[in-house]
Amino acid sequence: MSLAIASRIARRELSGGLKGFRVFLACLALGVGAIAAIGSVRESIRGGLDREGAIILGGDAALQLTYRFAEPEERAWIDARAEAVSEQVDFRSLAVFGTGETAERGLTQVKGIDNVYPLYGAVSLDPAITLPDALADRDGRPGAVMDPVLIARLGIEVGEAFRLGEQEFTLTAALIAEPDSAAAGFALGPRTMVRTTSLENSGLIQPGTLFETEYKLRLAENTDLDALREAAETEITGARWRDKRNGAPGVAEFVDRLGSFLVLVGLAGLAVGGVGVSSAVRAYLGEKTEVIATLKTLGAESRTIFLSYFIQIGVLTLAGVGLGLILGAIVPIAFAPLIEARLPVPAAVTLYPMPLLEAALYGVLAALIFTIWPLAQTEDVRAATLFRDVGTAGQGWPRARWIVVTLALFAALVALAAGFSGLVSLTVWSAAGMAAAFIVLVAAAWAVRMLAKRIARLRAIRGKSAARLALGSVGGPGGEAVSVVLSLGLGLTVLAAVGQIDSNLRGAIERDLPDIAPSFFMVDIQPNQLETFRASLAANPAVSDVQSAPMLRGIITKINGRPAAEVAGDHWVLQGDRGVTYSANAPDDAVVTHGAWWPADYSGPPQVSFATEEALEMGLSLGDNITVNILGRDITAEVTSLREVDFSTAGIGFIMSMNPSALQAAPHSHIATVYADAEAEGAILRDVSNTYPNITAIRVKDAIERVSDVLAGIAAAITYGALATLVTGGVVLIGAAAAGVRARTYEAAILKTLGASRRTILTSFALRSAILGVAAGAVAIVAGGLAGWAVMTFVMDTDYFFEPVSAALIVSGGVFATLFAGLAFAWGPLAARPAQVLRARE
Amino acid sequence: MTDAILSLNDATLSLDGNAGRVDILKGITLDIARGETVGLVGPSGSGKSSLLMLMGGLERASSGSVMALGHDLTTLGEDALARFRRNHMGVVFQSFHLIATMTALENVATPLELAGAKDAFERAEAELQAVGLGDRVNHYPAQMSGGEQQRVALARAAAPRPDILLADEPTGNLDGVTGQAIMDILFGLRDRHGSTLVLVTHAPELAERCDRVVRLQDGKVLADSFERAAE
Repeated sequence: MSLAIASRIARRELSGGLKGFRVFLACLALGVGAIAAIGSVRESIRGGLDREGAIILGGDAALQLTYRFAEPEERAWIDARAEAVSEQVDFRSLAVFGTGETAERGLTQVKGIDNVYPLYGAVSLDPAITLPDALADRDGRPGAVMDPVLIARLGIEVGEAFRLGEQEFTLTAALIAEPDSAAAGFALGPRTMVRTTSLENSGLIQPGTLFETEYKLRLAENTDLDALREAAETEITGARWRDKRNGAPGVAEFVDRLGSFLVLVGLAGLAVGGVGVSSAVRAYLGEKTEVIATLKTLGAESRTIFLSYFIQIGVLTLAGVGLGLILGAIVPIAFAPLIEARLPVPAAVTLYPMPLLEAALYGVLAALIFTIWPLAQTEDVRAATLFRDVGTAGQGWPRARWIVVTLALFAALVALAAGFSGLVSLTVWSAAGMAAAFIVLVAAAWAVRMLAKRIARLRAIRGKSAARLALGSVGGPGGEAVSVVLSLGLGLTVLAAVGQIDSNLRGAIERDLPDIAPSFFMVDIQPNQLETFRASLAANPAVSDVQSAPMLRGIITKINGRPAAEVAGDHWVLQGDRGVTYSANAPDDAVVTHGAWWPADYSGPPQVSFATEEALEMGLSLGDNITVNILGRDITAEVTSLREVDFSTAGIGFIMSMNPSALQAAPHSHIATVYADAEAEGAILRDVSNTYPNITAIRVKDAIERVSDVLAGIAAAITYGALATLVTGGVVLIGAAAAGVRARTYEAAILKTLGASRRTILTSFALRSAILGVAAGAVAIVAGGLAGWAVMTFVMDTDYFFEPVSAALIVSGGVFATLFAGLAFAWGPLAARPAQVLRARE
Repeated sequence: MTDAILSLNDATLSLDGNAGRVDILKGITLDIARGETVGLVGPSGSGKSSLLMLMGGLERASSGSVMALGHDLTTLGEDALARFRRNHMGVVFQSFHLIATMTALENVATPLELAGAKDAFERAEAELQAVGLGDRVNHYPAQMSGGEQQRVALARAAAPRPDILLADEPTGNLDGVTGQAIMDILFGLRDRHGSTLVLVTHAPELAERCDRVVRLQDGKVLADSFERAAE
């Protein structure tokens, strides 16, 4: 019965139009739209990766080996199971263009291919020639193609010759698109592609040098991938399997995580929008107080009235969510060419229902959370309101059951977000952070009001009309302090947190580097080159230190005879291959924390010294046996000591060090760190690459820049997400300013009547905006700083430093935003004639 | 009248409304002497309040002149008008028009402060004492009854000791007893400060307390007790 009546009342009231609900609709639509758009892009990338899994991987399946090619019998086994097999070899090297003093050198990731490559997809070259043409011999040299970035870096042109190791190549084209590049993962250098056969005389692929081979397989359509994987991993020792179902697992996981994180940032935007939604509903119901009182006078029960307004707000919520979904669905499609162009992976941009459903659920829940309190307060409006002005109605706490309902809705929202994102602890912590920021901001708004009230009454402020008017307005009842501080504060908090995390991440790279970082990592130093290599560098006065160590790479396959993953889960040490060294004596700076180093002349069964922190994380202890597959051979060693390894020194650090007799016989190379004056780096690079063409020098500065670039990209994505939050905050702010126009016009009319000049009134309006902006900005710095500290300390496991520049920008941004919104809406009130305004209120 | 503190000469007021241009005041000529109390009476819509607004410079005459203390209010800008009011005028409204975000004391102190009075708060407190609100100085308007709010408004208008006090139906929103008390205070303040008082009212008994009654109808002066007395 009451539902039918409530619906009729709601319909009549809604027929009055949506004028007061623009901010409500905008906030909800923006919040939902941002989340829907982020989810749609994430889904598009997932869709792209799924659709083009085989192209991205370069085959239906791939088997990767470290340090070696497949043995003939292994290759035969692979050939027998595939319709076609493409063999690739991948390693880092220096591309050298020119000779002598003017030669240019650039680190490159070389890919050696066979005649079958690519099994799927197509290589795109500039000029548009075929790959076989491009890699065929030219001018007596094998052809090669290069990433345009490297071409620009070297200053080389098509048709000119360059060198990889000891082999000269002719550059025949720029490599515009490589179909399976996303599967290759993070690379320090841009790509150079050549025929594997042309590398034979380069001296770059020798026993012990660092390279990886990959066998891409084209399989029959009905091949059982899981069965083949199991067989391959048993048959080919140390082989790592990937297949088209997840062609680029690293990329897919990264996109998933970043997408989920951005959805969390989007939820922060929805919370900011919620403040606007709540304010709009409060203002609407405030205007409806007389209607509610009249309805009560006419016999309507509280339940009927609550239902009536619940239905109205529900209809508006659906409209806002609907608008947001349209926005979130259309924007990625409209910007598809731009998105696809900027992504390094394929994206299938189309309409995806799941992210839209996710965003819709968040929107509805957020709207409920933020409107239930003002709606509940319709119960407290009494019929007597009609006869008495009850100015403070609806300001207090709602009844207990509504608090419980709100908490339940909040819990549901957090559970939903945790479920959708899969980042349970991050979601819970973010929600707790948001809730805490909310409480801190409400408390701050209250404190600002109290402080303003107190200062307004200070003797010192007397006679300063504009200041006292502003302070009185901030501190007085019915002001906009809470909604402005909350909406702007939340938006700025998200931005401040992102700013702190961003600058700390960037800073961490520089800060965590030791005071004296090496200039170069030199890899692939052959044992017979080591002595002369060290001697020539030692003779160079610009070189202060050279440290070297033998290096092999191996995969930990077993711990105490059991598969390693069963014992230590998915610890990073087990993911892929790790560097292994050997040493007769403990290094000078080694701190052995458990057990003892083997005697210098030890030649018994293999022993291993393991990094303490990682060993403890993996549950390893002295006496455990670990099996490491090196070059296809299993070596089982007993853990006889644990030692501290400080990876932050950027020096040489190995998780595992074995006794020499365990590894010495295996083909291997050496790695060296070279400490030199910055200005001598160019000359050292030139000398080393001229004397030892097979040695690859990685300039630490370049590597840091490359990592910084990747981090900057991530930070930019997060900043865009945070900006959506700030835009919503801006809408709320403008909404609050627009909603305050009537009150300001009235106030200005009274003040003019009392003799205030327009300048005094404008100054007062500006001051009050500035006070609220400073308050919101100050809280944002503290809350954002705390969030930054939490992320850096608990997620990134590094030190946190307060970054003042972005913090100062946040506060000024806050002040500017409130000033802008406040003053933009001040001209109307200032221009209005007092008589007309005051008489309208009579 | 040679010592007129307020002098209107053929003043008209026309406003643009939804239904087109409306002539509200049609050629008002009126002189009010210093210290005089004048009651403006007439039926609703006759232009009483508009005339009062014209006198206070809150509304600008469409034509004619409005002289107050020798200044032509029709030629002054918005800010000059505001400065003129804070130095010479106090206005009281039917709906009080207190600033909701200020306490009673702050409301009363504001015009004094705007006028640059160093002792604004002391004088405001004394004025509130005078209207019987010495114990409500720190209350906000929403915490006071209608009668109390109007007393604050009276104190606010009278605090700068204005030459001219303009009151627009100050008892219109109050019950009879409260209204009577407010009028006693208003006339008491007027007597205390020697201000000229122009009062818009519907109540004949209030108009009778004035030295002079001007009756308006349809935007024109229908009768003026001063002129009758002069005849």
